[in-house]
Amino acid sequence: MTTETATRTPPSPGALGEVPSIPCTEECLLRPGNTNCGGCGMSVGLTMLGRALEEAGEACTLAIPACCGAVTAGAFPTTSYGAPVVNTTFASAAAVASGLACVRDLNEERGQVICWAGDGGTYDIGIATLSAAAERNDNILYICYDNEIYGNTGGQRSSATPPGARTSTTPSGKTEDKKDMMSIMVAHGIPYTATLSIAHPVDFRRKLETAFTITGTRFLLMHSPCPTGWKSEPSDSVELVRIAVSSGLFPLYEVWNGKTYRLNTLPDWTDPAEYFKRQRRFKDYEIDLDATTRVCRERFERLAVLAERFPHDG
Amino acid sequence: MPVEVVTGNHAAGHALSVAAEANRDARGAACGIYPITPQTEIVEYVAKYPFTKCRVVPVESEHSAMGVSIGASLAGARAFTASSSNGLAYMVENIMVAGFYRLPIVMAAVNRTLGPPWNIWADHGDTLMLRDFPWIQFYCESNQEIMDTTLLAFRIAEDHRILLPALVALDAFILSHTQGETDLADQGQADRYLPHLDLPHRMRHDDPKTLGGLMWPDVAASLRLEIDEAMLRVPAVFEEARAEFVEVFGRDPGGALQTLGTEDAETILVAIGSIATTTHEVVQARRAAGEKVGLIKLKMFRPFPEEAFRDACRTASRVGVLDRNYAAGMGGVFWQDIRAAFQSTRNDLLIQDYLTGLCGGDVTPAMIDEVLSDLMARERAERPVWMGIAA
Amino acid sequence: MVEIRIHGRGGQGGVTLAKIIATSRFLLGQSVQAFGLYAAERSGAPIQAFCRYDDDPIANRNLIYSPDHIIVLDPTLVGPAITGGLKPGGWILINTTKAPQEMAEQFPDNPIATVDATAIARANKLGTRSVPIVNTALAGASARMLGFELSEIHDALEHLGFVGPNIVAASQAHEALRLPEAVEDEAAEVPVVEGVLAEETAEAAGAVETPAPYTVVPRGPSFLEGAGGDLPGIETGQWATEQPHRQQYVPPCNHVCPAGNDVQGFLHALAHDDPDRALEILLESSPFPAVCGRVCPAPCMASCNRIDLDGAVNVRQLERYAGDNGNASLTPMEPRDERVGVVGSGPAGLTAAYHLARYGYRVTVYESTADLGGLLRSGIPRFRLPEDVLDEEIGRILSLGVEVETEHPIDRRELMDMAGRHDAVLVATGLQELRGLRLGIGDTPAVDQGIDFLDLARRGQVRVDGEDVVVVGGGNTAMDAARSSLRLGANSVRVVYRRTRDEMPAIAEEIDEALEEGVQLDYLTQPITLQPNGSTAQESSDPGDGGYRLTGRRMELGEPVEAGRRRPVEIPGSDFELTCSRLILALGQSPDLSVFPEGTEVREGDELLGLLETPVFAIGDLATNDGTVAGAIGSGRRSALHIHGALSGERTETTEHATARRDVDVWHDEVIRSDAMRLHLFERQAGQEGTSLPMATRQSTFDEIHMGLTDPSEAKRCLSCGVCNECDLCVTYCPEGVLKRVGHRLEFDYAYCKGCGICVTECPRNVIFMSHL
Repeated sequence: MTTETATRTPPSPGALGEVPSIPCTEECLLRPGNTNCGGCGMSVGLTMLGRALEEAGEACTLAIPACCGAVTAGAFPTTSYGAPVVNTTFASAAAVASGLACVRDLNEERGQVICWAGDGGTYDIGIATLSAAAERNDNILYICYDNEIYGNTGGQRSSATPPGARTSTTPSGKTEDKKDMMSIMVAHGIPYTATLSIAHPVDFRRKLETAFTITGTRFLLMHSPCPTGWKSEPSDSVELVRIAVSSGLFPLYEVWNGKTYRLNTLPDWTDPAEYFKRQRRFKDYEIDLDATTRVCRERFERLAVLAERFPHDG
Repeated sequence: MPVEVVTGNHAAGHALSVAAEANRDARGAACGIYPITPQTEIVEYVAKYPFTKCRVVPVESEHSAMGVSIGASLAGARAFTASSSNGLAYMVENIMVAGFYRLPIVMAAVNRTLGPPWNIWADHGDTLMLRDFPWIQFYCESNQEIMDTTLLAFRIAEDHRILLPALVALDAFILSHTQGETDLADQGQADRYLPHLDLPHRMRHDDPKTLGGLMWPDVAASLRLEIDEAMLRVPAVFEEARAEFVEVFGRDPGGALQTLGTEDAETILVAIGSIATTTHEVVQARRAAGEKVGLIKLKMFRPFPEEAFRDACRTASRVGVLDRNYAAGMGGVFWQDIRAAFQSTRNDLLIQDYLTGLCGGDVTPAMIDEVLSDLMARERAERPVWMGIAA
Repeated sequence: MVEIRIHGRGGQGGVTLAKIIATSRFLLGQSVQAFGLYAAERSGAPIQAFCRYDDDPIANRNLIYSPDHIIVLDPTLVGPAITGGLKPGGWILINTTKAPQEMAEQFPDNPIATVDATAIARANKLGTRSVPIVNTALAGASARMLGFELSEIHDALEHLGFVGPNIVAASQAHEALRLPEAVEDEAAEVPVVEGVLAEETAEAAGAVETPAPYTVVPRGPSFLEGAGGDLPGIETGQWATEQPHRQQYVPPCNHVCPAGNDVQGFLHALAHDDPDRALEILLESSPFPAVCGRVCPAPCMASCNRIDLDGAVNVRQLERYAGDNGNASLTPMEPRDERVGVVGSGPAGLTAAYHLARYGYRVTVYESTADLGGLLRSGIPRFRLPEDVLDEEIGRILSLGVEVETEHPIDRRELMDMAGRHDAVLVATGLQELRGLRLGIGDTPAVDQGIDFLDLARRGQVRVDGEDVVVVGGGNTAMDAARSSLRLGANSVRVVYRRTRDEMPAIAEEIDEALEEGVQLDYLTQPITLQPNGSTAQESSDPGDGGYRLTGRRMELGEPVEAGRRRPVEIPGSDFELTCSRLILALGQSPDLSVFPEGTEVREGDELLGLLETPVFAIGDLATNDGTVAGAIGSGRRSALHIHGALSGERTETTEHATARRDVDVWHDEVIRSDAMRLHLFERQAGQEGTSLPMATRQSTFDEIHMGLTDPSEAKRCLSCGVCNECDLCVTYCPEGVLKRVGHRLEFDYAYCKGCGICVTECPRNVIFMSHL
């Protein structure tokens, strides 16, 4: 396996001074007093997104389809978002965002138009809309926080649910593979596609900053732990993502124009057993760890080959 | 602009385009477009139009066409789109959203039979499916009316007293694809007629409000009540907009309710869309023959002009409703609302429904004559009569 | 009809509790309803659930406005609001650790029952740690409150498929339910309170049911008129069952530093590329960072938790970096009148003088030789400690106004005089008595003491060209003598030591370097006799043609003694001979107490009152026999603090370590070990050694062989064990963004903190902990 092209992103504890530390205020993207579950990965993502926007001096408008993020706002006239938000219909986030973005561009205004969507609204019901926006290369930033479940409706299977996960509609564990959304989006040839890990805040912020500077459709896929749906300890949320990255379950990489690749971390192939053990959604289902690792290694190898053959310069 | 011979679709496309262009010095305009027969020519017209500041986004579905228009409208641009039939059905979810978000989007809707079966001809069932949403609905009978009503629709929808989306309906092929002389508005006229859009609740970075979040029952119900109040203001605003239209364009775009002979008619036919033209001819001929018949052409169906309707029927004892639609298990949709308008006020009034020209059937003067004959001979109203099909 | 309202939090199972109670009645043939008030709440948010049951069919689909009883799943919800509409006499069942009496004042009109359902749920592993599912426990408890049989609740649980721990939890809670004293006294078995509990009375309560009200509320806000965007105002902190707090442990490096340096503190400054601040921190404890950064055995590195990850942080080199590159100005306190005399200018004496001068005392140092520095100057070769480095640090001490009298030896008589002229006298004469070795040979120029040899070498007064040098000993003096010999032209240099490498007191790195430079090491070897070559005369001291013959004896390690070192035991018949032209003894030194009155026993810090009129202290190696520079510095500092305390009456810091206390909630005196750290959160990263002279150059020059680190980035490897280093990962990962850093202080906004605990699991250095609410 080729690893030269991969740059290892430090998980930052040793790297002092590299972590953003902007105090959360009422004007933050995710305000205190929101009703998200404790330990919600989406909340971590929103907080990190808010800080990245602030650091970059970017304003934003959010288009949010049905998902936990829609409920995050709370009851009108209050809102837990410190930015203008429109709740769109389930399948329409990307389309509404396209409308917002084209008027922004018509008026030569600044600010990111961001779709903040769950996996249901991205992998499933919203995929046609997203695909169309990507094909038109509309100037939107689409962030899918993938908690691998219909969390807002109480935890049903989506096409992002991994095999083995128990959901209320796969009571004995899902038997099908998770849809490879990244490859689908990469195939659109959009200017920027990347995966995001909340356990890698430096990498997370760098990718957002990269996305902010690019015009056209940008797709970011964030692995988003859901203590309620995953039946995990809220305090484990970040750690679970960290294990997912280090064990190769969730590779961190970027793709430009569907053509050039960059790997951001080399998994150390941590035994993924801990990842499954800490989530009771995988209880009662015999996860084939060797097969899982094999699949992860193969996927990573493919990415590594692409990254070597088609490296991203600069 | 000189009078030209164009199709109804051309008239609609032109009206949408000059309206969009008229907002060029404000936040511009945008729309999502998606083809469906027999509406396609409208969005083709728009796509080709040399706009100064309008983005036409060719999307992958009607659902997204309205989605883009919602986004554009929320961003403060003049937004519009066009669709028809199953396209409207597919768009329904976002049509509803546009209404509840109080976005003054104008949509040209070509009335076509909802499928299955595969039938591309005129039927009002598609737009009537939307009758309970917060949308103003206009039905047209000529290319000129399409042209004028579309501009009128923007003017009313964007009025701060209203802020509701509006739909301008035209019958498939009978209007959409039929060439006829039309006085196409020029840009200068449109500019004079349409003020710049100023959406009070447009999304701004300095105003972090969330639209569409959770609302408790009382708050959500208040929003419905607000919509009801706005709907009730439409007739008055319509009349203002109509008067100013006359001023700018030198012609009357017509009222919400247009009548013939209702001042003394004992028998009145109610017609919507292109059927009104045919009916007009028949009624006029009958009146010339001394019969006390009349016509009510319903241009604005939502909000339903109940008062005006009752007033127009004050001399009548029989009303026949020509419904080019069928609500399963009930009958014609227009008939239902007209019956309701007279509930408890005119128990003596006989209101009979005639299902005419369903699924694109040609409504001939002879059919209208037949309707009139049936109606005038009636002792009492019965179940809707299916015209042209043996029982 | 009986109506029950349940107050809980999302995830606790409130709606299911309603269902369990309803099911138990349904199984008895009653008409039931159970429902929740659903909105967009998430795990932890306050929720309400309702349950009704009646013998007759229920004809009511409203919320419950006037409940007969209330069940509260979460003690933090208890407040006046929850009893809204509760009928007088209706029960309130609360999940709490408190006794009913403790809550009676709050709800005077209603009987209260309590049970610690959370503990029961946790014990039965129901739910997660932060959101235990308490419904089945409370179902069991409610049976007594509602006048049901426990078996009826069990039946309902089984009917609904709740088995195992749920049944156990129900039984335990049923048993553990605490009732008002009056009730318990009368009939603990069937707790019936007048007017409430029995079914008949419950029905009677239902008969006076209050109908659901009709209310008209004002119009809701309109977004067309600018409404929207208000802050949520939901104090989600109330959802929390646990709260985070700040804590601090003692880092092992700080704990072990003999000089009392705040190692973590100065590394933190260097990690932020601030050598000035680093030096400032070091100068708080030691005037000799540049010296220690060269010669300290660095026990901090031996105790470094990073060893368990990828090797110790190179603290020694970093201290040197701070000493060499930092600039710090010293500001002494107000001058004081008291005079302090210091005898001896080694590291202990100078350190004491330094601190006392900073406190404002008038300090005079008496040095018997011409140069200041004691063994720092005479006993450590320049290639390890260049004299200009020493001079600079001594200069900094003198700049505080310390007066010096060199070539002024102090004897017993003068010490007594000094005591009269000073308010305090510190004796820091170090270890002057050199240990010898009986080798069956008289006084001979071929045998040197290591210390003397090093001093001669420093003065350029000795060469050993072509000689075969044998050094006896295993400490730094032995290594220094050996390495100096190489540089002075020796043909060969051999160090003999009676134990093994592991027991050698010399700094490990110095042993390595000696070996690299060509010194040979003979472990487990004890010199027995030294004889001139070719001579068998026992007492002859004349060198023969071939120099001397050293007879050595092999040793092995026996049982451990004293400080755990294993005693070397001779192996009989293992004698062997070595040729040598010079023998250098580096066997250690012992204190010379002749300056004190006869019979004086010295312990560090002892005030020899009674003997003298003023306090006289023995400090440094003289008192401790420690033998390290760092130990001498620590002793000097402690003595100075002690004297300052005695003379000024001010409280002084006397802790062994100098870790700066952060603004924390709990300060632990324990040292944090690596197993309490979250080492997996750190990236592995090799340590930096700094650059050195090439080997070829080393053997011929006394130039300093190490050039030190070129930048302080090595300090970033410091894990900052148990001490917040403001990495702000907690701030970064806090899902709510309610963890803030205000200056150096970490602040939790408890009004909003949901108690998820991510800040705890993500803190690599264990400075946040959770407490149960």
